[in-house]
Amino acid sequence: MAEATRALPLGTGHRTRHARVAPLFLAPALIVLALLLAYPVLYSIWLSLTDASLSAGQLDTPFSGLDNYQRLIGDKSVLAALLNTLYFTVVEVIGVVVLGLLTALLLNHPMARWSGFRVFLLLPWAIAPVANAVLWKWIYHSNYGILNSLLLQLGLIDHNVTWLGDPFRALNMVLLVDIWKSTPFIAILFLAALQNIPKTLYRAARVDGASTFEAFRFITLPSLNTAIAIAVILQTIWSLRVFDLIFVLTKGGPADGTVVMNFLAYRVTFNFLKFGYGAALANIIFLASLLLSIIYVRLMNPGAPRGR
Amino acid sequence: MAASQSILGRAGIVLALVVFVFAATGPIVWLLLSSVLQQQALTSIPPDLSPSSFTLANYLEVFSSAAQLGRAIINSLIVATFTTALAIILGAPAAYALARLEIKHAGTILLMVLAAQMFPAIVIAIPLFITASKLGLIDTKLLLILVYLSFNLPIVIWVLRGFFMGLPLGLERAARVDGASPLQTFLRIVLPISLPSLFAAAIFAFIEAWNEFFFALIMTRQTAQTVPLAISAFAGQYQTMFGQMMAAAAISVAPIILLTILLRNTILRGFADGMLKG
Amino acid sequence: MNRLPFIDRRSLIKTAASGAAAALVLPSLSRPSWADETALSVFSPLPPDPAPPGAAKFSEEAFAAWQKANSAKVTYDMVAWPQLHDKMATAFASGEHVWDVVYMSGWVPELAKFLVPFAKNLPKELIDDLPKSSFSTVTWDGQSSGVVFTLSLLTLFYNTELLQKAGFTAPPKTWDELKNVAKECTRDGNYGWVLNYGDPAGIGGTASYWMCFLQQAGGKLYNEDGSPAFNSDAGILALQMMMDLMPYSDPGSISYVGINDATNVMTAGKAAMMMNWPFMWKPANDPASSKIVGKLAGALLPAGPAGSASIDGTDAWTITKTSKNPELATKLIEFYLDKDVQKRQAIDTGWLPIRLSVLSDPDVQKALPNAAVVLEQANHPYDSYVTPDYNEVTVALGTEINKALAGKSSAKDAIAEAANLVAAIVKKRG
Repeated sequence: MAEATRALPLGTGHRTRHARVAPLFLAPALIVLALLLAYPVLYSIWLSLTDASLSAGQLDTPFSGLDNYQRLIGDKSVLAALLNTLYFTVVEVIGVVVLGLLTALLLNHPMARWSGFRVFLLLPWAIAPVANAVLWKWIYHSNYGILNSLLLQLGLIDHNVTWLGDPFRALNMVLLVDIWKSTPFIAILFLAALQNIPKTLYRAARVDGASTFEAFRFITLPSLNTAIAIAVILQTIWSLRVFDLIFVLTKGGPADGTVVMNFLAYRVTFNFLKFGYGAALANIIFLASLLLSIIYVRLMNPGAPRGR
Repeated sequence: MAASQSILGRAGIVLALVVFVFAATGPIVWLLLSSVLQQQALTSIPPDLSPSSFTLANYLEVFSSAAQLGRAIINSLIVATFTTALAIILGAPAAYALARLEIKHAGTILLMVLAAQMFPAIVIAIPLFITASKLGLIDTKLLLILVYLSFNLPIVIWVLRGFFMGLPLGLERAARVDGASPLQTFLRIVLPISLPSLFAAAIFAFIEAWNEFFFALIMTRQTAQTVPLAISAFAGQYQTMFGQMMAAAAISVAPIILLTILLRNTILRGFADGMLKG
Repeated sequence: MNRLPFIDRRSLIKTAASGAAAALVLPSLSRPSWADETALSVFSPLPPDPAPPGAAKFSEEAFAAWQKANSAKVTYDMVAWPQLHDKMATAFASGEHVWDVVYMSGWVPELAKFLVPFAKNLPKELIDDLPKSSFSTVTWDGQSSGVVFTLSLLTLFYNTELLQKAGFTAPPKTWDELKNVAKECTRDGNYGWVLNYGDPAGIGGTASYWMCFLQQAGGKLYNEDGSPAFNSDAGILALQMMMDLMPYSDPGSISYVGINDATNVMTAGKAAMMMNWPFMWKPANDPASSKIVGKLAGALLPAGPAGSASIDGTDAWTITKTSKNPELATKLIEFYLDKDVQKRQAIDTGWLPIRLSVLSDPDVQKALPNAAVVLEQANHPYDSYVTPDYNEVTVALGTEINKALAGKSSAKDAIAEAANLVAAIVKKRG
């Protein structure tokens, strides 16, 4: 982390000046964040400890301690959502990282120098999630979606497939869309990392008679270690927040097959108006993200002292 | 690097590139096609691509509909621009402080900053609404700017911090020897050479603010509606106007595409330096 | 730089400033300002979903005249229908005053504590002109907190051409006939039946469709004490009927999450029959989006063992407790229900009126031929069984029904499991 590279061999006068000025640099941003988020976060933690419900005029919030969390543990729908989330996250992270790496390797090739390819790469990322979801709903349509049309014409299937009709298949189709949308950012990350690897290493390897695969395994992959670690953690955190897609494509169906934790929290809060329980569910998601971000920060600085 | 490229190897790369272009742009092309076809043509099997099915009616109707796409674009532009500007103005100094200046508990602060953008929107929507309502900020662009700032600021800080840490120390040391204060060093030396990374962070913040839906839904009423809301207006309960929605989506994606085309090289360089120095 | 003597920098700035000031002031001047103008805020869906005058394009002059006569300024907050409930929940949870008049669809019992029971204050002449049972979905605990403004019942819609091709000149009138017609019409790449079974929740969700069949089989959802009453022959028969239709239905039905998905299949000419709301008439006869212009007809929902039955779409207007002008809000709703406004609503937007007198108006019947069918359907039961926990109940019920329709469960097991889940939910109702 910062400490390792910041050990500047300079006089004490300089350090004192830094110590005085640093808070001024940092304070505005921290104050803004604290002002905006402190109250909502604390409120949501408190809400999860109540049995909140709508009643005449406002939100009634009788205290109920850890009841919501206890209920959470025994709730079948929560277990199902957790399993779906686990599957979704693991597959998406693997999918995005592998696809992102392949795309980056491809675009790093001398034959792919044209900057137009990079613009194409950014297209899925740039499109509004709401429009993206409706577009794919249309693409997946069993009767006149372009996916069935194409596959039929190519002879890969012999009758229309109801892509979103089976719970597990629907989950995978949603995965496909989100992987498509999320890969660009990770691919750019890898592409930038690849371009940082000195060409001399590859030249030396070739002189030594290494094959392309060996060069990849012993030069490319190790240099990408950090980038891969970042990609995995970032994508995990973002996978936990998927919502728009499920809302438009499947509304959690069929038969709750595409209900993930974030969607369940939404449904409980906004459809059933169980604000306390929903807050508890959402806090679980936040805790999971927080734990993962701790792992991320640690991964970036193995052995660095925590704080100072 | 391209010493012994067999024909097969080159053909393989070309094939891979074709697949890539198709995969990346295929759905977008379909989006554009859908926006200029009548719905009738889309529901034919196979889709009816005869010249008579093409129409610009969808685009015309988009602008005359109750969804107010025109105003939404202006709102989104203002909100995204100000969020981005504020995120950079507040985030760059903070990132520099965490990178170069001595801060106690920098690790914890960094973690908290990172965690700030991980809250599911559901969690904070209601308390934010209550506060905003009491302050009379509902349906204002200012509110959206502030809310978006709360989750864009962490990313900006994080990307820029990585970049600042990767800068060669010599420049700053020289400036200090010349008697420059940290502030002067930051403004006169560090910022000018950080432009690519600043752009990269700015693009990310801009796109996130431009595309955000949930808070825009909850926090606005009529005047501050943004583009994602205008697009969602075409998906009703009893009827979905698909062609018009695709037209609205195409219009809304155009400014982003333009920006990414103009800044494609700076984005790439910015991310390189920002991500990897952690 | 002073080329032209009378245009120098200072005077330019002055002109610009006064121009800007004028631009700011003039618009407010051009709108006639009347003293004591009351502001009313209305929350409604975006057209073409049901929307009032001023939001949808009809009765605009009458609306302007009403505002002037009542010294009111009405503003509309509109979002796409699927987002209505979310925004409502947030607004009510915050306790802040946001709207005076709010559109509801099956949420009145759920949000009854936030609404004013104003229905009893409506003029007798109006109440007499409304179907009695239209109040059942907006009444809870004896208080009527809403008024339905469009007669929206599910009826049968069928493609006359596809039926003729299969040898039928009349629509099915019973369950057996329905199965037969669906079977015969499933040919040449077309389907006999299509519907949206993907979203279990709410009115227009899987569970609500089953409630039609439940009532056609003579069953009901709840007992007097509120416990589930559908784990019966009627409940199982109803689900079995839906399952029997599956082989002759568009397989995509299990994945369609909105009625518009199923409507699209019908208007593309790929399905012979479906249940739909009266509004379907308009898009089906629009050449830009429909291939079946002039080929659509409506009919009563086929009768089960106990006759025909349907459910109420329950599009209603309500008034919030936080409103400072409930009397004016009531007047606004009366305006929405005015005879002429209702007539224009029907003819211009395709949403049927709720007033019996306007429904039997020959102009309305001519413009919307299916109005007569809906009127007839209203003579049969149409209970939507709306309760405060309607979302929870329909999600539990609908998910089990969806499983059975997908062939993953038997009708008997699905209903039994659903009854258990609903019983647990009802216990919490207290």
